Amino acid sequence: MSNEKPINPLEMLAYVLAMQIKDHQIVYVGTGLPMVAAILAKKTHAPHITMVYESGGQNPIEGDMPWSVGDPFTWRKSPLIQEMAYSFAQAYNGYVDIGFLGFAQVDMYGNINTHLIGDDFLNPKTRLTGSGGNNDLSSLTENMVLVGLHTPDKFPARLDFITSVGHLTGGNSRQEAGLLGNGPVAVVTNAGVFDFEATSKRMRVQSLQPGVNFELAQLCTGFELLKPEGEIPVTPSPPPDILEILRTQVDPHGVFTSIPGM
Amino acid sequence: MATFAYNKEALANLKIEDTSLLDRLVDFNSARAAHLKKDHSQRDKRMSLSEAIATYVQDGDICTDTGFAYVRTPLQSYFEIMRQGKKGLQFIGSPNTNQSYMINFGVCAYSHNSYIGAEMRGSDRNYSRQLKAGKVKILSEWSHGAMAQGFKAAQLGSPGVFSKQLLASDIIRYNPYVKVMQNPMRDDPDPVVFIPALYPDVTIIHVHACDKNGNARIYGPAVNDIAIAAAARKVIITAEEIVPEIDIRYNNKGVVIPFVYVDAVVELPFGAVPGNMPGCYYWSRQWWEKAMRYATLTDENMAEFMRNWVFDCRDQYDFVEKLGGARWVAKARRLTKTTEYDNEDEGYDYSYQPYTLNKDTDIYY
Repeated sequence: MSNEKPINPLEMLAYVLAMQIKDHQIVYVGTGLPMVAAILAKKTHAPHITMVYESGGQNPIEGDMPWSVGDPFTWRKSPLIQEMAYSFAQAYNGYVDIGFLGFAQVDMYGNINTHLIGDDFLNPKTRLTGSGGNNDLSSLTENMVLVGLHTPDKFPARLDFITSVGHLTGGNSRQEAGLLGNGPVAVVTNAGVFDFEATSKRMRVQSLQPGVNFELAQLCTGFELLKPEGEIPVTPSPPPDILEILRTQVDPHGVFTSIPGM
Repeated sequence: MATFAYNKEALANLKIEDTSLLDRLVDFNSARAAHLKKDHSQRDKRMSLSEAIATYVQDGDICTDTGFAYVRTPLQSYFEIMRQGKKGLQFIGSPNTNQSYMINFGVCAYSHNSYIGAEMRGSDRNYSRQLKAGKVKILSEWSHGAMAQGFKAAQLGSPGVFSKQLLASDIIRYNPYVKVMQNPMRDDPDPVVFIPALYPDVTIIHVHACDKNGNARIYGPAVNDIAIAAAARKVIITAEEIVPEIDIRYNNKGVVIPFVYVDAVVELPFGAVPGNMPGCYYWSRQWWEKAMRYATLTDENMAEFMRNWVFDCRDQYDFVEKLGGARWVAKARRLTKTTEYDNEDEGYDYSYQPYTLNKDTDIYY
């Protein structure tokens, strides 16, 4: 019934994100699509993951979609609820495998801006939220996956502010700066899935969403994207049964995966 | 009087000339002296909210945002601060969502930022506008975790902690309190960030139950509040209910802030309304959507919104009446208990009519 509607870009993002999660991992979950993705992964290919939330919830039992990362669903009958400092310390100490981050801007090295748009910090065009846990997770977590919509504004050549360090200036610069983990391993957008080339640490196309070609992805990007060798694969779309689970069990009210008019 | 070696690049970037504004947040000696000067006796500290705010929140104080933005946050106490017309406060918290609307009324004049906003409810255009208009000055930028480490350092009884957060980011360049250093235990290069222990002037923490001496029990996420209570020079506890001390001793479901930190105990049912109070009431989701989508649009909208919800309300009971009275209370209690799986959830429908600019049902439950 619910599959008559074609898949929308947010549902596709949620599915692609979910596929980044492997079973038995500890997953640090942020607000919005990452919550959808983690819950979808748990209900499908990764039933044994442990979810960790910034407000302290650990491994809640299943419920509906949280309205916020502070929602009781994030700590529903949790065995424990950690204080904030300890929650991030879990990533520092090596007890988080993968985390997800959103961004207002991301550059070719996977550095993130969630602070402001404009070139004057004291008088920005638009002031945004600031870091929240974005910097903490980006600094500490073993593997980060970035997620957002793909426009030239959001993929500029130069960030207006570095909130969170990805691969900094490429090469070994992240390690030399003293940061932990592998940094960003993937960027998931409505245009495609991107990884980072091993030596330069520059953003590279891994696969493109159905209907998107390299030229279009490049047009939506304010810096030069690296092209992989050979044919660029198409990102797999969710099979109907997975889409059904997403729509009926994970986010039935479309809190994070509905687009007005679609 | 201690003197401080602030990060000079950040002072220049933030154009802070008068560094005395920054001092109290890291002035351990004065915080310790304030803690020593308190009456340490076990005694009845109960008073009214208006008396507690009038006595312990002074103009210019560094005040904290506690709970988690809209979870167990003492919103009704912030509203009382606004009604009493306090001026020129610094606000700090991780998150620090609630300082935004206080700027419009001169209550908050200085920001220590970690996160301003309400996640997916929409961006806080009000804060952006007030910043550009010069109504608020940013004194420091943080991540949630780095600020949490600063409060935790105070609770640990340490001058500060070394962190792996913030390294190589621009946050370092906009925070006078933090410094990149070499890890003193390592011979090979190992950059770390020194984060000093943070000592706010005053904190208000809303809890589930408190005895008259100030032993205060929290159920659900404590976030940073145990650490903040240990650090702050002045601590006001507001509680859903006041219980006998024996209840704190025997009922250990949750965590406890010890009475020694506490200056005032206020019985304040619905003290976290319109936020979520674990075990007690769920958010008014529509209220937050209207706050973010409507009130933040213009100064006029914000003035009208806050006149209705704050200045025309005497107390939290007036506020609850506007939300829908007993109907709101019953629905909000059912929602939070069902979410927490303390009520039957099978067949329960969490859906609601969201607030949008085109559709304002004026229903808040």
